Amino acid sequence: MLDGTEDEEKFLAAGIAGLQQNSFYMHRALDSNNLRDALKYSAQMLSELRTSKLSPHKYYELYMRAFDQLRKLEMFFEEETRRGCSIIDLYELVQHAGNILPRLYLLCTVGSVYIKSKEAPAKDVLKDLVEMCRGIQHPVRGLFLRSYLSQVSRDKLPDIGSEYEGDADTVADAVEFVLQNFTEMNKLWVRMQHQGPAREKEKREKERSELRDLVGKNLHVLSQIEGVDLDMYKDVVLPRVLEQVVNCKDELAQFYLMDCIIQVFPDEYHLQTLDVLLGAYPQLQTSVDIKTVLSQLMERLSNYAASSAEVLPEFLQVEAFSKLSNAIGKVIEAQPDMPTVGVVTLYSSLLTFTLHVHPERLDYADQVLGACVKKLSGKGKIEDNKATKQIVALLSAPLEKYNDIMTALKLSNYPRVMEYLDIPTTKVMATVIIQSIMKNGTRISTSEKVEALFELIKGLIKDSDGIPNDELDEDDFKEEQNSVARLIQMLYNDDAEEMFKIIDTVRKHILTGGPKRLPFTVPPLVFSSLKLVRQLQGQEENPFGDDASTTPKKIFQLLNQTIETLSGVLAPELALQLYLQCAEAANDCDLEPVAYEFFTQAYILYEEEISDSRAQITAIHLIIGTLQRMHVFGVENRDTLTHKATGYSAKLLKKPDQCRAVYACSHLFWVDDHDNMKDGERVLLCLKRALRIANAAQQMANAARGSTGSVMLFIEILNKYLYFFEKGNLQVTVAAIQGLIELIMNEMQGDTTTPDPAADAFLASTMRYIEFQKQKGGAVGEKYEAIKVSHAG
Amino acid sequence: MSLRRRTLLKVIVLGDSGVGKTSLMNQYVHKKFSQQYKATIGADFVTKELQIDDRLVTLQIWDTAGQERFQSLGVAFYRGADCCVLVYDVNVMKSFDTLENWHEEFLKQANPPDPRAFPFILLGNKIDIDGGNSRVVSEKKAKDWCASKGNIPYFETSAKEDYNVDAAFLCIAKAALANEHEQDIYFQGIPEAAVPENEQRGGCAC
Ligand SMILES: Nc1nc2c(ncn2[C@@H]2O[C@H](COP(=O)(O)OP(=O)(O)OP(=O)(O)O)[C@@H](O)[C@H]2O)c(=O)[nH]1
Ligand SMILES: [Mg+2]
Repeated sequence: MLDGTEDEEKFLAAGIAGLQQNSFYMHRALDSNNLRDALKYSAQMLSELRTSKLSPHKYYELYMRAFDQLRKLEMFFEEETRRGCSIIDLYELVQHAGNILPRLYLLCTVGSVYIKSKEAPAKDVLKDLVEMCRGIQHPVRGLFLRSYLSQVSRDKLPDIGSEYEGDADTVADAVEFVLQNFTEMNKLWVRMQHQGPAREKEKREKERSELRDLVGKNLHVLSQIEGVDLDMYKDVVLPRVLEQVVNCKDELAQFYLMDCIIQVFPDEYHLQTLDVLLGAYPQLQTSVDIKTVLSQLMERLSNYAASSAEVLPEFLQVEAFSKLSNAIGKVIEAQPDMPTVGVVTLYSSLLTFTLHVHPERLDYADQVLGACVKKLSGKGKIEDNKATKQIVALLSAPLEKYNDIMTALKLSNYPRVMEYLDIPTTKVMATVIIQSIMKNGTRISTSEKVEALFELIKGLIKDSDGIPNDELDEDDFKEEQNSVARLIQMLYNDDAEEMFKIIDTVRKHILTGGPKRLPFTVPPLVFSSLKLVRQLQGQEENPFGDDASTTPKKIFQLLNQTIETLSGVLAPELALQLYLQCAEAANDCDLEPVAYEFFTQAYILYEEEISDSRAQITAIHLIIGTLQRMHVFGVENRDTLTHKATGYSAKLLKKPDQCRAVYACSHLFWVDDHDNMKDGERVLLCLKRALRIANAAQQMANAARGSTGSVMLFIEILNKYLYFFEKGNLQVTVAAIQGLIELIMNEMQGDTTTPDPAADAFLASTMRYIEFQKQKGGAVGEKYEAIKVSHAG
Repeated sequence: MSLRRRTLLKVIVLGDSGVGKTSLMNQYVHKKFSQQYKATIGADFVTKELQIDDRLVTLQIWDTAGQERFQSLGVAFYRGADCCVLVYDVNVMKSFDTLENWHEEFLKQANPPDPRAFPFILLGNKIDIDGGNSRVVSEKKAKDWCASKGNIPYFETSAKEDYNVDAAFLCIAKAALANEHEQDIYFQGIPEAAVPENEQRGGCAC
């Protein structure tokens, strides 16, 4: 008994050595035209194949070496016949070899030459050979011998159009020969499992599996026979092959051969014989992995359908969908223990199939999903990893086919399948859906569709019932939510009424998202809404006084409530920004009270929620910038708001920040193109106040470090002075500017001044600007002429 | 070796499933083409006789299964090959990417005496499809790959239109023939010790 690969290597080496030795003498005999010796040594060489000590792999190696030698012998035989030796005599002669295995190999070799000589009908020789091979009943030896027969006869079958076809030889004989060889080989192969001790069963199954291609090869040969047309396939080949497959009652053989049938025969044949093929499935052993085989069939047919629209009528003609659908139903019914992954795989294949073959029949697709739901029901959430992966594949198929989630949304069973996914997979699927929308730029343009869509992607929209998301990676979470944000911005309809409904629907969903999601989802919703506001803005406001119609006011109301949710979730800065955005939009719509309300909200947030000094600086500049652009306010409202803004500015934590905010406030009193918003005095007040703060800052710096701080602030204020001077604010005088310049110069020349290259550069360019304006001439030049520039140091 | 015997050249055709290995052989040997896909199982050969400069050679062309699950017995038939033909589909990137594997695997399993000198030939098949509009592997890319593998000859073919098929196989045959000459020099160790004539079991009766 061999109990190791090492031993096996030894046996193989010994076999090869014996084989080489004899082939050497065989060659010598061939070279000297010694037929007798040639036969003798070739038989001895072939005796090495009588071993039972090698696994199929190793045996194959030995076989291949013998095979190569036999090709040379075959050429020799041919030459012999050309030299006048009778092939019939040769055929007789080799039968005298003592051992049966070498004898049969030699017989097949001569047989091949015999057929080629056409001295006897091919079919007779073939029949003779295939019968004689029955002499070997040892499975491995028998299988290789028969595969040798198959190999040497391949090109000598009386196929249609072949030179071996004739009155006596028809393609039917060729088919009969191959079928017979196939049947015998399958029997040997199946029988193998019953030979040897039970404890070696596993090893035997492995070896059988290695041998499978020898059996399957026959089917490939059949498929290559030109004369096997659809009729012959339907009437002879398929029934005979299936008969063998079913009757052998062997799991391995059935699984493998069904796969072979599907792969080696053409698609058209499968379509035209679907009934027969599918009819065989229920007759297979229950242990056979039918789902895989069936899926392979459907996959193959799907690819065929996808290859060309021209073939689709074939599918319709044979009602392929309903046949497959029935077959799957039966298989699932017959195997109540089939794991979920199996069930889903089957439906997924069927879905792919129908999507390819009947892209217009959404009802078919829905039917498949419905059947799948039915099978899944009662099983709860699916936890098996492979099964959930299959479901994702199932649900992704319609998206890939139609490149359009809208079509999938029409499938009523689509969301029902999703119900069975566990939380992580629900999210995966939601992401797949969003990606599909992004990639294809799908327009989702009604609130109904939005509702359905959000139902599908709810895994990303809210925490699933009471299970918080804390185990999720922060970056993953951000990416997910950003994709939701992008999605929200894609939802659009030209029609304002519908768009408003969409916004309302989205709002309803995202508000369930909880504190972590809102900062991602509220902003895109706000911007979508503002887009709608801008669209309405040009239109006549509420022409019929119809309360139901969408107005900017209504939208702003909704926005106010929406943004408010953010302040509750510790995102006051974001909320403030959004309020200001809204205020600006309200300004453009001439809605003073609304704009005022938004400002008020922003101010409340500023006062009550924003305490970080850096955040305050950002916020105050946003406020000033926005307020500066507002023109809708009457004097009173405006005064209140600017007053407060200036107040906030002066109360910032650090002096330089105060200073900068205060001089920025000067712009609140001087708005270009609005003459009623030009208050030179208050501008000057702001600038003076900024100067005072700058002074104080300087002194503080002095006190703290004993050196003068930077004059940067002063130069900045100087630039503001110049700005308003140029804009024609008469309160800003040459004298004031002159004074400021001198102050700066002095500061910079002071002994204790810390050098500041940035300030030097800024001042220099400010001075250059003044020079430049002077040289411009005209009104501007005249204005600037009065300013004397004394050059520093 | 005696002169009167014809030369037998062994050629192995490798490449992913569906690239057209079987179709190329059928076109070359039988001058026929079928649109239908019929998977190859295992390996087997066809022969074709041709004349190269006064020499009659028999090409033994081994077609193989591109689908791994139909190659259960392994690749013992690589042994003694004189030339290896790699095929890919110019319209399928993956079939080009896997050439590297096929190349490497062949050398590993066939284990020729001088791997770097062993003749390979690359065929880029199906150039007819869509008038070449659907191709994803450019001729240059293929040629660069060939150059990187020691200047493998390259042919663009169509089994369907019978384009370049004969030319490619002629080149294959020549490469195999050249390789065969080289191998003659190293002709594998024939046992020198004489075998006692009568010690053999199961002797031949003739
Ligand atoms: N248009 C076109 N189709 C081809 C060409 N060559 C092969 N085909 C088609 O491609 C498909 C696959 O061809 P095969 O020759 O069976 O491929 P293979 O490489 O032998 O595949 P395996 O046996 O699975 O390894 C068949 O449908 C052929 O009709 C070609 O040059 N042009
Ligand atoms: Mg093939």
